[in-house]
Amino acid sequence: MRPLDRVMRTRRALAATIATRAALGAVATVLLTAAFLTAALRVAGVATSSVAWLVAGVAGAVALALLARPWARLTVPRVALWIEERVPALQYALVTAVDPVGTASAAFLEGEIDRVSWDREAGRAMMRGLRWPTLAAVAGVAALLLSLRVSVGGATEHDRAIPSVTTTPARDVPAPFARLVATVRSPAYAGGQVVRVESPASIGTLVGSTVVLEAPGSGEGITADAEDRPIAVHRVGDAWRTAVTVGARPAVIRLRHGTVERLVALEPRLDSVPVVRLLFPTRDTVVRAARGELRLSAEAHDDIGLATAAFEYIVSSGEGESFKFKSGTLGARRIDSGRDATIGASLSLDRLGLKPGDMVHLRAVAHDGNNVSGPGAGASETRVLRVARAGEYDSIAVEGAPPSEGDKSVISQRMLIMLTEALDKRRPTLARKTLLSESRQIARDETRLRKRVGDIIFQRLGDNPTGEESRNPAEAPPSDSTVSASDSMRGDSIRRATARAGRTPRDVAVADSADSARAALLRAASAATGTGDEILDFEGDETPVIAINRPLLEAYNAMWEAGRELEQGETGRALPPMRRALAAIQRARQAERIYLRGKPPAVVVDLARVRLTGKDHGAASTRLPRVPLDPAAARRAERLAAAIELASRNPAAAIDSIVMLRVESLDAAPQLGAALSEALAAMRNGRDATTSLARARRIADGGVHGVGDVGAWSGVW
Amino acid sequence: MSANKRTRFPIPDSRFPTSGEFVFATAQYESGDWDSAPLVPANLIDSVAKYTSLPVAPTGAIVALASDDLFRFPLVFLTGHLPVRFTDAERTNVRRFADRGGMLFVDDHNHDIDGAFHKTAVEELTRAVGPLSRLPNTHPIYSAFFKFPDGPPNTSHELNGWGDNLVHSHLLAAMRGNRIAVLYSNKDYSSEWGYHPDNKRFLAIDNTRFGVNIIVYALTR
Repeated sequence: MRPLDRVMRTRRALAATIATRAALGAVATVLLTAAFLTAALRVAGVATSSVAWLVAGVAGAVALALLARPWARLTVPRVALWIEERVPALQYALVTAVDPVGTASAAFLEGEIDRVSWDREAGRAMMRGLRWPTLAAVAGVAALLLSLRVSVGGATEHDRAIPSVTTTPARDVPAPFARLVATVRSPAYAGGQVVRVESPASIGTLVGSTVVLEAPGSGEGITADAEDRPIAVHRVGDAWRTAVTVGARPAVIRLRHGTVERLVALEPRLDSVPVVRLLFPTRDTVVRAARGELRLSAEAHDDIGLATAAFEYIVSSGEGESFKFKSGTLGARRIDSGRDATIGASLSLDRLGLKPGDMVHLRAVAHDGNNVSGPGAGASETRVLRVARAGEYDSIAVEGAPPSEGDKSVISQRMLIMLTEALDKRRPTLARKTLLSESRQIARDETRLRKRVGDIIFQRLGDNPTGEESRNPAEAPPSDSTVSASDSMRGDSIRRATARAGRTPRDVAVADSADSARAALLRAASAATGTGDEILDFEGDETPVIAINRPLLEAYNAMWEAGRELEQGETGRALPPMRRALAAIQRARQAERIYLRGKPPAVVVDLARVRLTGKDHGAASTRLPRVPLDPAAARRAERLAAAIELASRNPAAAIDSIVMLRVESLDAAPQLGAALSEALAAMRNGRDATTSLARARRIADGGVHGVGDVGAWSGVW
Repeated sequence: MSANKRTRFPIPDSRFPTSGEFVFATAQYESGDWDSAPLVPANLIDSVAKYTSLPVAPTGAIVALASDDLFRFPLVFLTGHLPVRFTDAERTNVRRFADRGGMLFVDDHNHDIDGAFHKTAVEELTRAVGPLSRLPNTHPIYSAFFKFPDGPPNTSHELNGWGDNLVHSHLLAAMRGNRIAVLYSNKDYSSEWGYHPDNKRFLAIDNTRFGVNIIVYALTR
């Protein structure tokens, strides 16, 4: 084969490669452009695809033209040079041999060229040239498939004002409605956006939007209704037109012409209420003095546009069953359709005239500009500023309360027992005199402690808290014949105590005349604890005062006994009554423990006791059996099953049935509505809808429950 | 009776219901004084035990409105004096609770329609479950167990002129279908029923009978 023939063969291969590369590049450009535009439009809520494909086609043509340009450079010398570039062994013999001017040594050159083969190198270079266009085309196909999965109107809330429309393939549209066009105009407060789409299937737009459906033709014989209410069909020029306003509930527009029917679903999109966040104050707080200014700051956001924002406050005063309130607003501001706004204000606490215990409840409120179904109002979390009451301390400056008298006593009694135990242990090593001295010192402390316990008892009996013995216990005790004035006062208390303990006034009078108040108290204690001669019948006539003092009276008695033993140096015999006194004081503390507010008292109802006594017979009404949980859900499941059954025989009718079911489910069963939407998209595009329909059926049958592991109710049945 | 014998009745280990028994739940919310009527649960439990054969737990439970535990209870009682501001989680839960078949009984412990509890609670409930409307006095709740032909029984606080000095003739409600999802009272049953159940014996007519109706209604509808 001559060199020229071999070059021409390579030239044909290169031409085919250039054509293939241009075609692949153009296809890739078309697909990638269409995918990008489709995804962008669908995210924006526009389902129409003709513009996307038009732009993609133009881009593809440009790419084709650019990639085909090397075709014009496929001359024989350039091809030969291209081969020489890849096969240096030719050493320009090929370029020289194919030179149209010719050379004298053509035979020699042919021999040199025949020894070199470039087919392999050329083929490799051509394959390299095709690699990227092929990959780009594959990527374009994948991108387009992905873009079709972007849900229409699954727009961010940023674009909620823009209507979104899904379309149906033209082949599925009956003849009178084949060129149906929908023009959707959102409400004025949302900007009045207009979207025009051919062959609409469902329209998602804000409540209050107007939807105009029109198609060429006279409109003769065409009727329209929405939710069984007829809609007027007008003739405008050479086309017919019908218009509706989108209400708050989903609806279906039925267009009829003879036996032919066309459905267009209207899916109202609700305007979200503004989201408001209170920035300052950041948390609830307690102030000691309500003075100065309180800085307020909040931010608000709305999906469409804000109209106003302000701060609200409520001042509550009082406690228990009596509260008074006053409220007001401040920092009110008009916002002209902005989606985001920040408001600030300053609250003068002086002007509010707050008193201790008052609370100021603060929050920010914003309204949107919805004049169709609103306005929507959003409010922030509420912060509370409380003015502390007098004598109330916050959680930082807590001052510990002193222990109660009973607690002080128990501490002291425990110490005395320890001292006595230590003395008793050292007793064998001590001289009698030393033992008596130390033991009597403990006895004096025991007497002082008994005096405090006696004071507590006197206080509770409603008398002078100075108590039984106002003298220094170290002093010699007074004789029984010299009863002091304070003793006579205390005598009244003892009299009442003993009278409550079941003694007659005569007994008390006799006791008073014979003994000192201290002796009377001791006798009362003995009687109360059953260690004296007279046993009191607390079970029969026990007042709360006696009942609450009973452990302390018992302690008083035991301490008296212990003191007597200690005075004689009998430390071993003093310990048991001292321990009894300690136990009695502890019982008293338990009986009087006060539980602060914060946890409600746990009242446990004794059900058996309640049910065994005093059973009234109320006039009970007849109980009806519980109705099935949700009959509407059952009806939806039945209708879906019927539509699925119909799908194999009459797909168009099944689609219509599912459209109707979906529109009715949007409010009552949003999950089902979403599942049906997927099924409809699959059916309209000729894809397998089995998975979507199966999922929809599971939801309709109630097989899909909410998230979380919430257990069943503990109802009676 | 010895102390040991006094505690023979079972005390539930958990705050939450065991199978087959009704647990009276009080709602705990972030704002206000949710625990202003701590004796009402015991009083109503006592009445349920006295008049009905319903299995009932001897103590009530406290459940946070923002908690998923809310859905374990068919009836939840909410009361207070102070302004009510639901958090987002509380509002969402109240809505879900009402939608799922629960019944929220809200009582204005302030007994004042000009009071902050009434204004804020109604506003919050409207945001959560929709507007409250007057409940007809012929509603089945007034005959669910005892018969109240004149509608909701009056409370001593109303008759003595406390609060707004009104005798409220109707309760308010938010419905789900033909079922009460939220029952709202201005009558201050929280004060009327806020006493220890042992003191019920001093009343000529038990004033908690309407509480039994509410519970029976919540459990049977």
